[in-house]
Amino acid sequence: MAYLELQNVSKLFGAVAAVKDFNLAVEKGAFVSLLGPSGCGKTTTLRMIAGFEMPDAGALTLDGMDITSVPPNKRGTGMVFQAYALFPNMNVRDNVAFGLEVTGHPKQEIDERVREMLALVRLDDTAKRFPHQLSGGQQQRIALARALAIRPRVLLLDEPLSALDAVVRVALRGEIRRIQLELGITTVYVTHDQEEALSISDRVVVMNQGLIEQTGSPEEIYRQPQTRFVAAFIGTANQLNGVVVDRTQVRFGEILLRAPVPSGLNESSKAVVLVRPESIAIHAAAPTDAHNVLEGTIQTITFLGPITRVGVDVGGTRVVADMAASNRAAFTHTQHVWLSFPPDACQVMANQ
Amino acid sequence: MKQRPLVLQSLLVALFVAYMILPIIATYIFSIATKWDITLMPEGYTLEWYQTAFDHPYFSITLTNSFIVSIAAVLVGLLFIVPTTYWVHTRVPSAKPLLDLLMILPFGIPAVVLALALIRVYAFPPFARSPFLLISACVIFSMPFMYRPVSNSLMAIDVHTLTESALSLGANTLQILLRVIAPNILPGILSGSLLVFATVFAEFTLANLITGASFKTFPILLVEFTRRDGRIAAALSVISFTVAWLASIAILWGSGRGRKPTEEALGAR
Ligand SMILES: Nc1ncnc2c1ncn2[C@@H]1O[C@H](COP(=O)(O)OP(=O)(O)OP(=O)(O)O)[C@@H](O)[C@H]1O
Ligand SMILES: [Mg+2]
Repeated sequence: MAYLELQNVSKLFGAVAAVKDFNLAVEKGAFVSLLGPSGCGKTTTLRMIAGFEMPDAGALTLDGMDITSVPPNKRGTGMVFQAYALFPNMNVRDNVAFGLEVTGHPKQEIDERVREMLALVRLDDTAKRFPHQLSGGQQQRIALARALAIRPRVLLLDEPLSALDAVVRVALRGEIRRIQLELGITTVYVTHDQEEALSISDRVVVMNQGLIEQTGSPEEIYRQPQTRFVAAFIGTANQLNGVVVDRTQVRFGEILLRAPVPSGLNESSKAVVLVRPESIAIHAAAPTDAHNVLEGTIQTITFLGPITRVGVDVGGTRVVADMAASNRAAFTHTQHVWLSFPPDACQVMANQ
Repeated sequence: MKQRPLVLQSLLVALFVAYMILPIIATYIFSIATKWDITLMPEGYTLEWYQTAFDHPYFSITLTNSFIVSIAAVLVGLLFIVPTTYWVHTRVPSAKPLLDLLMILPFGIPAVVLALALIRVYAFPPFARSPFLLISACVIFSMPFMYRPVSNSLMAIDVHTLTESALSLGANTLQILLRVIAPNILPGILSGSLLVFATVFAEFTLANLITGASFKTFPILLVEFTRRDGRIAAALSVISFTVAWLASIAILWGSGRGRKPTEEALGAR
């Protein structure tokens, strides 16, 4: 049995099912992210783990114990909120000490733990400051120290970085992962930012409308999306709608694409071929030795730093391809170009 | 839009200030006047009226009684209204409009009606015409003054998230209320207490009807003196003002102490 388990958990708000028949097993020490668009039920799931919401069906177990009806202040879960939620009337020291003080730990132990936690989040010298005297990033690190000070069995974070600006966000997510690994603490992290989820998690749970679409390692989620939703939500996969011809070919308009067709798909059934922009090469002249060649006209050229993303209109379908920024000069708007990609870069799935 | 001429503006302000302050100044002067009827200013000055007031056997009794009733009303208000307001804000937010409405009722019911109704319903001991009944009536009467500032302060902070973060750290409801919520709504609690204290301290109708002669309050004494000698009544009014001001200063001083750690931390930076 896994350390933290959610079994067939459901939560209704009136007639709206926020979370439906949710199953999740988190191993001890793992970092799991719940990823999905707004309103898909991530926060609700996290709040059920924390005990702030009661599931309408299903059970939760933590460390072999059924916690479904344990009140939130007896669960030993540390929670970090998007809005920091530091106590404004207390200084940093008292904020971090709060969880230990209300549970009656001796003062000496508390002082020691506070020092340890502030060192962990690298804010040793802020003990006497008040929350309003700290930057957003610092406040969130104190919130993390406060949640960790009680030595929780699970650390829960609900979009802890979304109120911060981009640079701080990236730096702090690395910090969170470093601390999580250092303490080996089981962590459930909620975000709607796929890059964030992929970069710091051991496992990612992609959710949509209260249901789990796919669970897997970041690589699996990125390279082998199991549903069209995951493919579309993670990265910007191109989706070419076609019809299965045989086990190695899919017809896309007038063109036969070479791609591995999974056994579940029958001949002449509708299929979608997924190709990532970074797998597509772009040519100024028709390539002679390439598979899967598409012709089209450049619509957009977007500079993205290390790469340049080119949007091409292929007979009405928009296909995006990435190229090294150094090749930028060779292409202009409305230029006629050829795209190619290897068969093994394609993933074929049923088009429901 | 054309701005009002500065002269007119200052004149309006001056008129308003005069309207508010003149009666108070007049009361102060009247309380130390020997004779002030046909002259512009009093004919002479004396502290005799204060002496008479202080010497009156009921002076300290009524002052004490008024303090007892006012402080009790503040404490009962704090004990019941603050937790109730917090509870409605966090657990049953849908009941908030109802509570808002209930808290306007005391304004709509004349004190006479409230007093007579309470006297009839609680006609049995130990309530009948007792100070307990008076305190209860004052609590009801002054409820909105405690509720509004507390409710507004609760809306100004993120009660929900603060409560939840304290919960996840293992705190129980009492600890959350005392250590997290109360300190953060302290300004509301203080101004609520101040308003309740001042309202109840000056309350006449309820005290006169419910306890009357058996438990006289300061305003009752004041009204009695009005019938005898306006100058002594003026002296008592001045004492009443002074009590209200001292209470405000005490409360503001208390809130200043509550804010002090912040300033210290700022100074240390
Ligand atoms: N207290 C509530 N009362 C009624 N409906 C709610 C409540 N909380 C959430 N919902 C609904 O449940 C669904 C899931 O909400 P949830 O907050 O879990 O989404 P989320 O994935 O966290 O979204 P976001 O990324 O916007 O935070 C939404 O449709 C939401 O409107
Ligand atoms: Mg959310």
